[in-house]
Amino acid sequence: MLEQMFYLANGQDLTGIYPRIILRDMVPGETRNPLTELRRGVLEYCVLAVVRHEESYAFDIVRELAGAGELVTSEGTIYPLLSRLRRDRLVTTTWRESDAGPPRRYYRITDEGRRALDGFRSDWARFRDAVDALLAATARGGKDGG
Amino acid sequence: MEADALVRDYLGRLEAAAWPLAADRRGELLVEVREHIESALAEAGNRDEVTARNVLERLGAPEEIVAAEAETGQPAGWMPPSPGPADRRAGWGLIEVGALLFLTVGAIFLPIVGPMVGLVLVWLSTEWTTRQKSIATLIVVILLFLPVLLLLGVSVGSTSSGS
Repeated sequence: MLEQMFYLANGQDLTGIYPRIILRDMVPGETRNPLTELRRGVLEYCVLAVVRHEESYAFDIVRELAGAGELVTSEGTIYPLLSRLRRDRLVTTTWRESDAGPPRRYYRITDEGRRALDGFRSDWARFRDAVDALLAATARGGKDGG
Repeated sequence: MEADALVRDYLGRLEAAAWPLAADRRGELLVEVREHIESALAEAGNRDEVTARNVLERLGAPEEIVAAEAETGQPAGWMPPSPGPADRRAGWGLIEVGALLFLTVGAIFLPIVGPMVGLVLVWLSTEWTTRQKSIATLIVVILLFLPVLLLLGVSVGSTSSGS
């Protein structure tokens, strides 16, 4: 029982520290980049924006996001994101026959996804304006001071 | 041929990296990535080594894709638990560490006195529930008196067999 108490004490201490280490170590070189953190929060809404008006094939979604520049560094990481959006019911999928090869899964936004996207749209506008205003103000201040 | 070998190798690495994911999601991810590669090669209209290398490079390292999967909160065996319980344990201080030391190492170097001090510390701590404290106390009491009971039992046994 004492051993068990020890084990619990150690085990619980570890849970607080390990996850972050594992996650960070798994993507070497990306940890210090502030853009990585930004992308992480924003990318799912970009996916929703892409599928908002028309049903899309995963490959085309990835290509459109990658084509926008800045948003995607590794195209493969979009697939885990699409999987989560499916799970969260922000998108829904349909299998369709394909001219070339096996049937393909097409993604379409749901009502819930549309609401999430609309909410993000206004949040983002306010966020972007706030950051822009602050950066502009401090840039001017810096010049005046120097 | 060279391109196909590269793709096979990449998918093999992805499969190896994806072992912590739930089995159904792992299979799905492999199919998705394979399809992506096929579509990209078809789009390029070329299946040579350079094209394949470019396609795979744009995809990113297999480990990176699996790490992204972990970040989306996919329930899998290795997924880190929420930080909630860890936060509660932030209160571990001198009293708790001291209690554990006195109950374990203390029992060897300070027989009887060590565990007693440990118990006092256990009851002083606010980190453990009354139930946990009671269990610890019960264990210590039993362990302390077990030798005495055993000795009594042996002596009773020997006297009864002697008579």
